[in-house]
Amino acid sequence: MEHKHQVIVVGGGPAGLNAAKYAANAGCEVALLDSATRLGGQYWRNTGNEIEDQATHHDFDQGSLLMDAVTANPRITHYPNTTIWSAAILDDEITLRTQDDVFSTTRLILATGAYDRSLPFPGWDIPGVMTAGAAQSLLKGEGVIAGKRIVVAGSGPFLLPVASGITSHGGKVVGVIEAAGRFAWLPEILTLLQNPTKISEGLGYLLTLRKAKVAMRFKQAVVAAHAGADGLLDSITVANIDAEFRIKSTYSLQCDVAAIGWGFTPDTSLAGALGLKEEVAADGSVVVVVDDNQCATSPQPEVQVFAAGEITGIGGSGLSLAEGAIAGLSAAASRTNLRQLKKLRRRAHRFALTLQRVYSIPAGWQSWLTPETIICRCEEVNYEAIQDVSEKFGADDARSAKLMTRCGMGMCQGRICSRNVADLLNSPDSDRIKGVYRPIIAPITLGELAQDGLL
Amino acid sequence: MITFTFNGLELTARTGQSVAAALLSHNERITRLTRISGKPRGIFCGIGVCFDCLIIIDGKPNQRSCITEVKEGMVVVTQDGA
Amino acid sequence: MNTNADAIVIGAGIIGATTALALTNAGMKVLVIDRGNIASGTTSAGEGNILVSDKAPGPELDLALRSRDAWFEIQEDIGGGFELEAKGGLVVARSESGVVGLRALTSVQRQAGIDAQDVSEADLRALEPHLSHSITDGALYPQDSQCQPMLAAAEILRAVRMRGGEFIAGANVTAINTSNGAVTGVVTSEGTFNAPIIVNATGTWAGQIAELAGSSLPIAPRRGFILVSVPTRKIIFHKVYDAEYVANVSSGEADLQSSAVVEGTQSGTILIGASRERVGFKDGIDFEILRVLARQAIALFPILADIQLLRAYRGFRPYAPDHLPVIGEDPLFKGFWHNAGHEGAGIGLAPASAQLIVDGILGRTSFMDATPFSPTRFTRGEVS
Repeated sequence: MEHKHQVIVVGGGPAGLNAAKYAANAGCEVALLDSATRLGGQYWRNTGNEIEDQATHHDFDQGSLLMDAVTANPRITHYPNTTIWSAAILDDEITLRTQDDVFSTTRLILATGAYDRSLPFPGWDIPGVMTAGAAQSLLKGEGVIAGKRIVVAGSGPFLLPVASGITSHGGKVVGVIEAAGRFAWLPEILTLLQNPTKISEGLGYLLTLRKAKVAMRFKQAVVAAHAGADGLLDSITVANIDAEFRIKSTYSLQCDVAAIGWGFTPDTSLAGALGLKEEVAADGSVVVVVDDNQCATSPQPEVQVFAAGEITGIGGSGLSLAEGAIAGLSAAASRTNLRQLKKLRRRAHRFALTLQRVYSIPAGWQSWLTPETIICRCEEVNYEAIQDVSEKFGADDARSAKLMTRCGMGMCQGRICSRNVADLLNSPDSDRIKGVYRPIIAPITLGELAQDGLL
Repeated sequence: MITFTFNGLELTARTGQSVAAALLSHNERITRLTRISGKPRGIFCGIGVCFDCLIIIDGKPNQRSCITEVKEGMVVVTQDGA
Repeated sequence: MNTNADAIVIGAGIIGATTALALTNAGMKVLVIDRGNIASGTTSAGEGNILVSDKAPGPELDLALRSRDAWFEIQEDIGGGFELEAKGGLVVARSESGVVGLRALTSVQRQAGIDAQDVSEADLRALEPHLSHSITDGALYPQDSQCQPMLAAAEILRAVRMRGGEFIAGANVTAINTSNGAVTGVVTSEGTFNAPIIVNATGTWAGQIAELAGSSLPIAPRRGFILVSVPTRKIIFHKVYDAEYVANVSSGEADLQSSAVVEGTQSGTILIGASRERVGFKDGIDFEILRVLARQAIALFPILADIQLLRAYRGFRPYAPDHLPVIGEDPLFKGFWHNAGHEGAGIGLAPASAQLIVDGILGRTSFMDATPFSPTRFTRGEVS
């Protein structure tokens, strides 16, 4: 079926929800497309069971208020379970295709969010090693505790809600392993203090963990995982690391789940397919370039594309909400409260940059790799094969590595490995941006593609 | 509660749960064996991004178990290779 | 910058790589330069076809037959590593007129030296169990082969470097120096390199390189898309295509032409080509073309309807007005050799084209008369 809408918002997380709300309140007719069944995105992921959900979310009240407002707004049509496989700008119109429908508009707001950044290490492909986000989504979205002895590791403030959520639901967290130092935030104390809600949120998690006697370990990282006879995760090697993440000493820890997160990677697949201008942010991730009104650089000026939330740079829910609101207002050509929102955004942005500095990822993780370490999980390309491309063929660019080893060519289309491969090859920004280009955004069967009717 | 089968074994799941979560709650952690080395894989990203938890559902391979809702009578089978 | 190269090859695609290897094996010291990296143009945008089946008798078929064997000689020479496989081509016909046309084609092809075997319906099923039941006739071409072109270019250039040659990536040619009607060197973003022989192996961009020297070549891009499936178990065993493809390959029409070419690869993916249209260097993905390709592929193999599409990519095939490659010395400048314009057959035709170039440079008698490919045919007014 074909659907035409005045404004289309893609993504039902904080940025997308706020964008839809602000655009609708400014008088626009809005379609909100989301791949999930329920609104909320990864941040306000929920099971749909109110009592359970409130228990797992610190600020679920804010989220449910916003979700209720969006659901109740007669100007907003919510399309759940909507996975876009292709996007194009043709004849002054933006066209988004799903398996059964075509959505078109001249004003698009992208709020497609982010996913966990993963670093490779020996054994990271063993079942039981997962992202911190996976453990969180199992808990928040599915009501399932990921394992019996869980290690939460990596770097960044996200580890705390993951560990504390598991703990408060009766799960056993055998350790929280943070790569940054215990007082890494100290130099940034002034900025942090300007965000008292975030501080109190963090303290709440720490309190939960302390009550449950969960050990917090700093300047450490999971550098290897080991499988038992059943092929499942049995233990991990934890290293004391220096400021560059190089290994100083190691010890072993028994666990059946290692939930590891190294911050987040923006999901700019849709933006890239539309040909929006992208750049490499300070943290090394590829982000959508936007102006002061969250307007992206569209290859065809007749259509307007806005971007909000994590895809313009990792910044958390506060920044996403502010950017979403501004994008919604801009799409509706309204200026109500715009100045105030921009002030909010500025503060949230400063906070986000501070966190990125505190939890930055130096290149020392590359020393954890062995020649056999899998880099591309889909095509099972190891570290040695990637090094071979430059040594054997004299080509050291990401594209050559991809075409010669098949790394990044598998099912996930480089979503997990392309950033790491770019780091390993020390790729220039242009290669990093090309590395996230995926004209087919989600797999579609040839039969679906061949179907009559929809163009 | 709904019932589905995994490799012929009858299992229960909560309505609305993903296939991966339902399997995990029965301590089933392997969704597929890889195409090249035949190594086991399971849930990794949990949100449909990494395509590692692929599984065969009702005869269709390459289904992402972490974002596919389990349905009554579903036939789920470990994916061996491609 | 000074180099003591005997010859400079511009372009590190499959044509440039095979030319460099042939020159090196003839005892010359070769410098290969490319504005990008190895195989960053059309070479990496194709399926890696090494076909004799899609050629009618004529000079291009003679080139293709020699080239097909030359590929296996290169494998022997450098040790492989590029997934060369004589998988065989299976051309099928669905309409009555298609069957008649195919039988006529195989008959003349056999006379020209191609191993073309008419296949009965029962044998078709044995060759390709998942082929649509509506297809009743076909022809098997055991000589048809395939390689992974990116790896082929890389492995060949590696052999060139190991045998004394040099490769410089990221060197964009900005001028070609000439003196007294002969080329003397190239000016690039990475410096100036001098040599008495310069080979233009820049495919779709060969016309632009010719112009830098003050010459010209009428080579234009023809856009093509290829669909790539998710890795799957082996369900397609040959390179399978509709007989109509042969007509499209040699067509001069500008509009979209497409007839699906379906094949499995060693990495488990299934490739579906090949559309052809003359739209200049037009960017982006055209979903109507992808749809047509998907439909045609499913018409050949209904089982494909349930297979997921993973990627799609496009390339620009270089073609000359008469659809023959351009192989030979420039009509205006001595020492300036062109090896380009192979359209969708560049991988297959590369080794023999390289041989023609080397034999031409050395003044040797080659395995065939290269006159039909000569760049002078455009200035002589034979082709407009």
